[in-house]
Amino acid sequence: MTAAVLELIGANRVHGTGRTAVEALKPTNLRIERGELVAIMGPSGSGKSTLLSLAGALDRPTTGRVLLGDRDLATLSPRDVAIMRRRLVGYVFQELNLLPGLTARENVALPLELDGVKLAAARAQAEAALGEVGLARLADRFPDDLSSGEQQRVAVARAFVGSREIVLADEPTGALDSVTGEVVMRLLRAHCDGGATAVVVTHDASHAGWADRVVFLRDGCIVESVGEEAPAAPGAAEPALRIQGRES
Amino acid sequence: MSVRHSLLALLAEQPAHGYGLKSEFEANTGGTWPLNVGQVYTTLRRLERDGLVEPVGAEAHDGRQTWRITRAGRQELTSWFATPIASEPPSRDELAIKVLLAVSTDQKDVSGLLQAQRVATMERLQSYTRHKRHADPTRELPWLLLLDALIVQAEAEIKWLDLCEARLRQREERA
Repeated sequence: MTAAVLELIGANRVHGTGRTAVEALKPTNLRIERGELVAIMGPSGSGKSTLLSLAGALDRPTTGRVLLGDRDLATLSPRDVAIMRRRLVGYVFQELNLLPGLTARENVALPLELDGVKLAAARAQAEAALGEVGLARLADRFPDDLSSGEQQRVAVARAFVGSREIVLADEPTGALDSVTGEVVMRLLRAHCDGGATAVVVTHDASHAGWADRVVFLRDGCIVESVGEEAPAAPGAAEPALRIQGRES
Repeated sequence: MSVRHSLLALLAEQPAHGYGLKSEFEANTGGTWPLNVGQVYTTLRRLERDGLVEPVGAEAHDGRQTWRITRAGRQELTSWFATPIASEPPSRDELAIKVLLAVSTDQKDVSGLLQAQRVATMERLQSYTRHKRHADPTRELPWLLLLDALIVQAEAEIKWLDLCEARLRQREERA
């Protein structure tokens, strides 16, 4: 069995107390293996973002446990959680949060610099990450001089940079057209094929189709999980397409 | 699906025999809609009757007959490409009929039906997407466009299933 990068064990999240308490996520078990790309789908208020916040240590479960790598987040001090979050988790949001006064390279290098990586090393790693998203030649551009699709790729590079264990993305294709959105999903797919792990919240089934596994949430519960088996070996043959009812 | 016009489109490129047309059609559509070779021969004979194709020379010793498109055939093809597909009345959709009947005859587990279908459709969508990963966007553009079409249809089906579920739920809440 491959190692779990992320595991929720009976983790739930209740907002408020007493009669006004709302259980945004009911006790949930979810195990995500190295190299997996997992998509989370569900209607508004179904608990998608809550699940992602718990997974990324942006929030703590009310009960239950969240394991990142082999560390139980509940056993760590807030300071250590913050360090783990910075080193192990890359985030991509619909709002890009790129700093307008920094170039693409500087934006991508920033999380490493904040983590104490020397400037030259941080910039070199940033360039590698920009290369991975196909933007090496635009490293000196400022966000305003990039298209919205390119800006989103810079944000993706910032989530990939360094030696992050897992990338968490909340509607990373939300504001993009279909073709540009597909570029982002292809990048996440290629990143996971290279051994990384990613969890993507999306309302777009065509983007979820890039995932190894699609988890559907309803009312704070996982109701369906599609594609449970381990990721297919690279280059594995797909059967020819057949449309139902059209066979001769 | 118009086998007739598909054959005309292929013959407009170059003359071919029946089996070659079958292979060419299937290669162009990624094997998604297999053609029965008998259907190809029947269609060619009807096209000949209508003056849209004509035989080139005699049958070869292996029984193969080469066909080419006529001037009238090219005109027919041009007008086919220029005319939008009529979508009225909508083509029959087994899933829609199944869900409609499940609701109107008060079947017990309609939401189970919707969930099972969503899983099946999502699996299909994932399979199309895996094909898409390996499709060359220049050399295999028609194949990629077909996959896009299938993916968008599957996506629409999932959206519709979500909508069905939400509306059933609203009805329950009102009741």
